[in-house]
Amino acid sequence: MRKKETASQKAIQQQVAWAAPVLGLVLLLLLPVFARYNDYVLQVFTHALLLATLALAWNILGVSGSISLGHAAFFGAGAYTSALLSLDLGVSPWATIPLGGVLAAGIAAIMGLFCLRLRGAYFALATLAFVEIPKVITDNWDGLTRGSLGLVGLPGLPSLRLGSYHFDMSGSLVGSYYFVLGYGLVLLVLVTLLFRSNLGLALQAIREEEVAAEAIGIQVQKYRLLSLLLSAFFTGITGACYGHLIRYLEPGLVYGLHFSAIPMIFAICGGRFTILGPALAALVLYPVDQFIFHPLLPAGHEFLYGAVIILAILFMPSGVWGQLRKGHFVSIKTGSIE
Amino acid sequence: MLCCKRFPIIACLLLLAFWCYSTFAVAATIKIGEINPLTGRLAKQGSEIHQGVAVAVAEVNDRGGLNGRQVELISRDDQSQPDVAISRAEELCGWKKVVALTGGYNDSLVGPISEVAKKYEVPYVASASLQKQLTQRENPYFFRVANLHGFVQPLCGILSESLRPQRLALLHTATPGSTEFARDLRSCLQSRGIAVMLMEKFRPGTPDFTPLIAKLASMNMDVIVSSGFFADHLLLVRQLKENRVSPKAYIGPFGIAYESFVREMGENAEYLYSTFAWNPGISNPGTEVASKDFVERFRSMFHREPNTTNMHGYTSTRAVLAAMQNVLHQKKPLTGPNIRQSLAELDLVLPMERVAFDKHGDPHHYQHLVVQIQKGKFEVVYPPERSTASAIYPMPRWSQRK
Amino acid sequence: MWTTVLVSGITLGSFYTLVALGFALIFGVTHTFNLAHGELLVLAGYVAYWLWKTYGVSLLFTFPAAILATLVVCLILQRLFSRLREPMEMNSIVLSFGLAILLQNGMLFFFSGDYRLIRVPTFNQGLHFNTLYLSYGQLTLLALSLLVIGLLYFLMRHTFLGKALRATIQDREAASLAGINVGGMGVLAFAIGAILIGLAGPLYGCVHYLYPTAGLQATLLAITITIFAGVGRIRTLILGGWILGFAESGAVVLLGASWRELVGAVMLITLLALRPQGIFEREQ
Repeated sequence: MRKKETASQKAIQQQVAWAAPVLGLVLLLLLPVFARYNDYVLQVFTHALLLATLALAWNILGVSGSISLGHAAFFGAGAYTSALLSLDLGVSPWATIPLGGVLAAGIAAIMGLFCLRLRGAYFALATLAFVEIPKVITDNWDGLTRGSLGLVGLPGLPSLRLGSYHFDMSGSLVGSYYFVLGYGLVLLVLVTLLFRSNLGLALQAIREEEVAAEAIGIQVQKYRLLSLLLSAFFTGITGACYGHLIRYLEPGLVYGLHFSAIPMIFAICGGRFTILGPALAALVLYPVDQFIFHPLLPAGHEFLYGAVIILAILFMPSGVWGQLRKGHFVSIKTGSIE
Repeated sequence: MLCCKRFPIIACLLLLAFWCYSTFAVAATIKIGEINPLTGRLAKQGSEIHQGVAVAVAEVNDRGGLNGRQVELISRDDQSQPDVAISRAEELCGWKKVVALTGGYNDSLVGPISEVAKKYEVPYVASASLQKQLTQRENPYFFRVANLHGFVQPLCGILSESLRPQRLALLHTATPGSTEFARDLRSCLQSRGIAVMLMEKFRPGTPDFTPLIAKLASMNMDVIVSSGFFADHLLLVRQLKENRVSPKAYIGPFGIAYESFVREMGENAEYLYSTFAWNPGISNPGTEVASKDFVERFRSMFHREPNTTNMHGYTSTRAVLAAMQNVLHQKKPLTGPNIRQSLAELDLVLPMERVAFDKHGDPHHYQHLVVQIQKGKFEVVYPPERSTASAIYPMPRWSQRK
Repeated sequence: MWTTVLVSGITLGSFYTLVALGFALIFGVTHTFNLAHGELLVLAGYVAYWLWKTYGVSLLFTFPAAILATLVVCLILQRLFSRLREPMEMNSIVLSFGLAILLQNGMLFFFSGDYRLIRVPTFNQGLHFNTLYLSYGQLTLLALSLLVIGLLYFLMRHTFLGKALRATIQDREAASLAGINVGGMGVLAFAIGAILIGLAGPLYGCVHYLYPTAGLQATLLAITITIFAGVGRIRTLILGGWILGFAESGAVVLLGASWRELVGAVMLITLLALRPQGIFEREQ
């Protein structure tokens, strides 16, 4: 009897696990058609998608069990690199956006030098403090970054020409929306592949039992550094996209605590050890905040984020999506994922 | 059950009614848009701009509108965030089809809005925007009633003509407007032979200035210019007093010339210098009546005294309305290019300034007045032709005050 | 100038120590990080500000109310922490970070984002010692900080409860075997921590400005000083506070005010990098 129940439960879970993302994807693809009349809806979802990529990138490190409170360092570095290269040297944003990711990874390498020997809570605290370093440098290196003046008038994303077809990315909200959606889907595929690769398996083994992982020959430090670099690389790319989308940068804006906290909140609420969880949380929580809580409580609407993360860590440490997909975690023994 | 079955029909009827209402009833009005930071870190200033805008719109509607058509103001909140500002501008220009935009506080929000305005060819007259970069980019649809020049010129004037300090310290916060102000002021002063001995940057909301004050004291500064904001002045001046450091003058261009500052600071506000473009009772010569009308209308609408920030919102909106009026007088349709043309040719005398724009959209005549707080009142001390009192310089040392 | 910097460093440093004490005690006894520490401090400041502004309560009498407020929040936090699963240290960071966001937004709602200050007129006057000038504000801060630190030192050294707390900090298993109720000690640590925060908060509101997001900096310096000192050593805490206060003042004078934020951050990262296995490991 019980066996049957769990079997049917599992079947339902399996269906939910497939149906929900597919339905979500269809809705996201069609959103501009529904939202044609309301630019605000479209903008909120563009931003939600951008935050989803941020949460996905954060989770590359998060899956190894580490919590970073310093991803704004990578976000800001990526945004500034791409912005300065395209603004001062006139390089196309297509080239500068990946370079933003590269510099972010470089900064991650420095961070890794100091912080990677740390574990758990101490790693989190060190990353929290680390953000100040690139922030203060950006703020004071007037000759290179224009310091506190900020950057105005960044080039937007150039239009994409495919034969006779002309796709305007920065000119219209719809264009920006599909650009971010496209980037999000690419990142999702990459993260999925990554999690199923040896690296992903190793990271999850480290999370479960670091000593045991080391004992069976996993080079813990190497894999943690690799995941930090990859996570920073994609966070930098997201930061660079953000810069070209809003076309304005200021050190306080891109290095703010906001961009460190938001991906952690989404990842933990959605499910740190799942692939989709962080992105789903971003796509649900940010619109809920903007459409429901902000009109109700203009001052103090972000209490929502505080409340959900407290509830999540107390009652659902594996996150909402993680809870739904329970029993589909990686198992080291069988080597299967989800 | 019945109600459930009928619900869709009722809903459809309601929607239809709403659609009819929104299409026909309001069709006769002229829609202008306004985007301000009404929530978030700039909420206070944004709300003040919004009040000024609302006064200008109420005024024109009470006079019977523009050529008999009422003006409808569509206000939006950008939450002090650039990305929200963009979406609000897209909404107003793309969906609501406003004919012109106004409002806006802070370059980080005005900049993104001006880009959207350019795309839709909707003229945008910003209320409070300072940085040079914004008007240096070819944007024929962007105008503003304020700029940094209006702050730098009078301060450079009073420092080089009457105060002539030997040792000048220039402090500024790590924000774009404040930083650019400090650089411009320094280069202006240097061109007139006054050296800036110390230029320091601090973060807004710094909790303690004591070490910085020790540095200022050791260098024996005559004059301190701090382009911080409201709270930075509150703390810096208080700590100057606590540490018994008495400069001959303390000048804070932003955030001092407000009643609320004097109330909060009490007697310590005495003798501080600041600037404003307008204040109740102090207006552009020849506009005293208009200025008084504004003050009265503002009081009846919001039950308090207006300040210079309110006036910026009012002035930018008046410029937009006047340009639209001119277009209608010429019997031309109210399109973006027509209003833009009219704005470029505008010459309008208002309480805050004579509004006329140069080819970049910057104001020709925006000029702040240097004021000193004397007996709790703002007395104009520069330029000489508009001064209401003579400057008390050097200000009394802290130890000599009761 | 350097005497002023030194005095400012010591005054500030003593206050920093007072701010850090509550954090260090809670961390030492329960092994949890309270990232909402700074927000609690600002909350206590706001409670005092509200009483002072609306009812004209004098500063001295605002302390009980401020302590009551922090006590309530801290005990709720303690209940929540006790429900956390392993790894405790990390999960406590996440939970208290959520609480910090919650408190920040609550304070934004009730007190708006404006800067608030509790004005005490006498703080503006002061005493001259030769070239050195000390305002009553600085003196009060220094005296109160040292007094509270001294009281806590006495409590920890010479009372039964204090000895039990110290035993718990040094070795939880051994303390438990010796018949000390470790869970009860956790509640006690939170209660004493709350009292310390409730004492520091109104002072913070008199000296610095209160605004909803002011707490983060206080949290960071509490963490830095705690990590510097290890746990359970009040004397080292004071030293840490003074070094941090002096380093910040020195950086402003030597490098410029814009480099100040870097000092605490670099100090914290260096300390952590030098002691990668965490604080407790060294003592075992």
